[in-house]
Amino acid sequence: MAKKEITCIVCPIGCKILVKTDGSKFEALDGFRCKRGVEYAKSEALDPRRMLTTSVLVIDGKWPLVSVKSSKPVPKDKLFSVLSEIKKADVKAPVKLGQVVIKNVAKTGINIIATKEVNK
Amino acid sequence: MTEYDIDVAVIGAGPAGLAAAVSAKENGAKKVTVIDRNNWLGGILSQCIHDGFGVEETGSSMTGPEYANMYIEMAKKQDVSFLDETMVLGFDKNRLITAVNKNGNHKIKAKSIVLAMGCREKTRWNIMIPGNRPSGIFTAGVAQAFINLYNIIPGKNIVILGSGDVGLIMARRLKFEGANVLGVVEILPYASGLPRNVVQCLDDYDIPLFLNHTVTFIEGKDRLESVTIAKVDKNRNVINGSEKKIKCDTLLLSLGLIPENELSNNVGIKIHEVTGGPVVNQFLETTIPSVFACGNCLQVYDTVDVLSIDAKIAGKNAAEKTISKKKKSIKTIPGKNVRYVVPQIVDQPGKTHISLRVEKPGESTKLHVISDGNEIFSKKLPWINPANMVEFNVDIQDIVLDKGHDLEVYLDG
Amino acid sequence: MKNFHVGIIGGGVVGSAIAWELSKYDISVAVFEKGSDVASGTSKANSGVIHSGINSATGSLKAKFCVEGNKMFPSIANQLGFSIKWVGKYVIAKNQGEVKELERLKKIGEDNGTPNLNIVDGAKVNEPNVSCHSALWVPTAAIALPYEFNIALAENAVINNVKFLLENNVTNLKKTNDGFLIKTNKGEYQSKILINSTGLNCRNIVSMLEEPDFQVYPCRGEYLVLDKKYGSLVKSMIYPVPDKELGVLGVHITPTIEGNLLFGPSAEFIIDENDKKTTKEMMKTLLVEAKDIVAKIPENAVINAYSGVRCKLASAEEGGWADYRIEESKQTPGLINLLGIESPGLTAAPAIAKYVTKMVSKRVELDKKNDFKTVKVFGKRFNEMTSAQQAYLIKKDKRWGRIVCRCEHITEAEIIKALSNPLGAKTLSSVKYRCRAGMGRCQGGFCTQHIIRIMEKQFKLDPKDINLKSPASYLFTSRTREVKK
Repeated sequence: MAKKEITCIVCPIGCKILVKTDGSKFEALDGFRCKRGVEYAKSEALDPRRMLTTSVLVIDGKWPLVSVKSSKPVPKDKLFSVLSEIKKADVKAPVKLGQVVIKNVAKTGINIIATKEVNK
Repeated sequence: MTEYDIDVAVIGAGPAGLAAAVSAKENGAKKVTVIDRNNWLGGILSQCIHDGFGVEETGSSMTGPEYANMYIEMAKKQDVSFLDETMVLGFDKNRLITAVNKNGNHKIKAKSIVLAMGCREKTRWNIMIPGNRPSGIFTAGVAQAFINLYNIIPGKNIVILGSGDVGLIMARRLKFEGANVLGVVEILPYASGLPRNVVQCLDDYDIPLFLNHTVTFIEGKDRLESVTIAKVDKNRNVINGSEKKIKCDTLLLSLGLIPENELSNNVGIKIHEVTGGPVVNQFLETTIPSVFACGNCLQVYDTVDVLSIDAKIAGKNAAEKTISKKKKSIKTIPGKNVRYVVPQIVDQPGKTHISLRVEKPGESTKLHVISDGNEIFSKKLPWINPANMVEFNVDIQDIVLDKGHDLEVYLDG
Repeated sequence: MKNFHVGIIGGGVVGSAIAWELSKYDISVAVFEKGSDVASGTSKANSGVIHSGINSATGSLKAKFCVEGNKMFPSIANQLGFSIKWVGKYVIAKNQGEVKELERLKKIGEDNGTPNLNIVDGAKVNEPNVSCHSALWVPTAAIALPYEFNIALAENAVINNVKFLLENNVTNLKKTNDGFLIKTNKGEYQSKILINSTGLNCRNIVSMLEEPDFQVYPCRGEYLVLDKKYGSLVKSMIYPVPDKELGVLGVHITPTIEGNLLFGPSAEFIIDENDKKTTKEMMKTLLVEAKDIVAKIPENAVINAYSGVRCKLASAEEGGWADYRIEESKQTPGLINLLGIESPGLTAAPAIAKYVTKMVSKRVELDKKNDFKTVKVFGKRFNEMTSAQQAYLIKKDKRWGRIVCRCEHITEAEIIKALSNPLGAKTLSSVKYRCRAGMGRCQGGFCTQHIIRIMEKQFKLDPKDINLKSPASYLFTSRTREVKK
């Protein structure tokens, strides 16, 4: 098991939590001040995910881009392959807020959803 | 010339203006009009496509446009009217607003006005960075607008000056769009943005953070070619010999925000030296009766959630037809480790929302509010930081005002 | 057309003034300008002062053209429509010892023909924020926007058929039997007469045809621009007694047409004429020296800084002062050189233009055009109009009703007019200098995105081709998302 330091982001103190992990087992060693921090460090060590927000090209819209987000946090190691697929995509105006712009992006089971409306 | 007669005029349809308008309606105002210079509603939120908005307020983390939309829907449901792509040229002490748009000039008579003009970004010359004047230098917000709204990327090899949230968010945004983000330069010994953003925007992508550093020279004949960064000592003076040139083609400046008060200045509203925004009382009323201020033009907020609390107070009071006769007026005095307090004036008893910023970071400290030697409020603060606004509610009793003593607000330690 | 009677190299204020003067005659004129717009060099990076003549040695061309040019400005400003304000100048003496200097300047001015000079007691100086022992009051000194003046000259020349060839950098010159062969990065041209008004580049141009008999000593001047909030601190220009040693005017406080305050210029001899940087030391010095004159200036008042480089013909060791050299080359007949045009170059420009035209007339027949047109290039701004005038314009064209530059209240119509200029200049700076959008306290923070969108949508410019000012100063590198064809 390897030791690594995880900066907690739950509150602005930003404790540097020392953990021991091999990707499936986890032990918090030092640096944490509260339970929330330990829980965060655990999820970061075993299954780090990130909410993804970016843009998709709009065809024939009032604006050239629509802002989008992932329907769920994306596994960190899949971020760039998801981004790569999003870059190649486009959507025709009008786009509604909440509209699914890409289904099951990069085979993650996660959708890419429009976060604003773009009219024709 | 079109003339309007309305109850509450809100200048700015960003998050503050929208929340104030909704609150004005909810508190009985009949005709509420929001005026905005852009052809979209939501102000700056339209380009803030990242999430993290509304967590405290709603429990869910929204993107900027989603948060804006939430308020736009509420406003529309409440029958708030909008004048978009309309620029307010000015208003007078009698709350007569002059505005212009593609349909002509407009004179808007308002019973009360809520100022919600937001802020502008500090520029290179505000901190006088010497060197050449090439293209490739952008403030972070402008770069964000180009990338997210106009489908334009400003550069390939990026250096960011300033580790506030805007700078950190842009580091990640540019990384996502294939740019080479060479580093974020920060003059303080710590990042001024949230740790969450340091981790998720810098650490995640191995983008270096140069703490205790600043940009001392900009070089480039036509387009930016390099910036020189140098280490600073604890007095923020450059340490000679520590200079390092970084080859780049783009410099993003995330130097801080300045409340936008051109309109307020022009009509003689008293502006506070430290906040850069109007001096206000607990109703967020400025020195001109029935003119209120909220949002980033009042003070620069960290989160939209807290901003909305104050915006709703401003909107509510803009709507109230009768404001009880003012009692004695007392001031809030920033004491030890407190940089400023909003509101600066208290002239009515009741539940008062106070926000302040500390001067220096610290941990395990206590906040005190004292009137005439008596503590009327205290709060334990596990951590404090100038980049994180402290806000709380205090119940101000009649007797505090009757005594006429200013309120001291200070921190232990 | 590739053959011209007169080829002018350099679209700065002097080149443009000559072009305008020559455009009154029935001849063909071309101006070769390497920048993307006129006023790309020293012509925009100066104090914008129309000098009175007190600072130029009596008997010099500088003095002659300064006083002559000064007299021409009221008429030219009115004809061409650029702003000018006769704010006057106080040269201030801090103590009794400096009064001698005021008297010396007064005498020089009087000898040069500068009218109405008067030394007044410090108490009578009509500047509440300036204290001094006494001052020389110079009523015929004025302020203008140097780029406005340059643009007004150039656009009027274009309307009268002068060809302004922007982004044309002269790379080679050859003397032919008939005149000159001019090679630029964009093509080849011919002219009978060649006018070298290239400012700092003047020696490079001469050396393409002959061995120059002079050196150029670039001398950089840095400036600070202060927020309009402080614009009313002074009414007239305030100049401390000049430092004779350097042959420059010293650090001044100059109110600007737009209501800002200008500090500068400094004076520093440099090696590379293209070294237009601003330095930390000089910016500090300017603030410190300015506070000596007007005490109330806070540090955070600065909204911009720039530097301009003077083309001097004398080195620091030689005292830094040399007269203008405006002459036809003996070695290369037909080549008219304008060398060492530094202060009072802006003021002297219209007088120099008349002088050079006389020189041209000796080689080319000059018949006056009977269809010569004059256009007021800068009209009233939207924010200077009455509501009735505004309403009328908005009804005619809706774009007058959309304000794009928030700080200066500049409308979309004005931005479009700026982009539709007859020179064909389409950089962000060319918009800025014609309608002021981007010059306010937010320095383009709000309007830049809107101006770019107008350039993209209404002028069909690809953002990747939009420059800030010079041909290689690109603003953007790519699209966030490429549009597939």
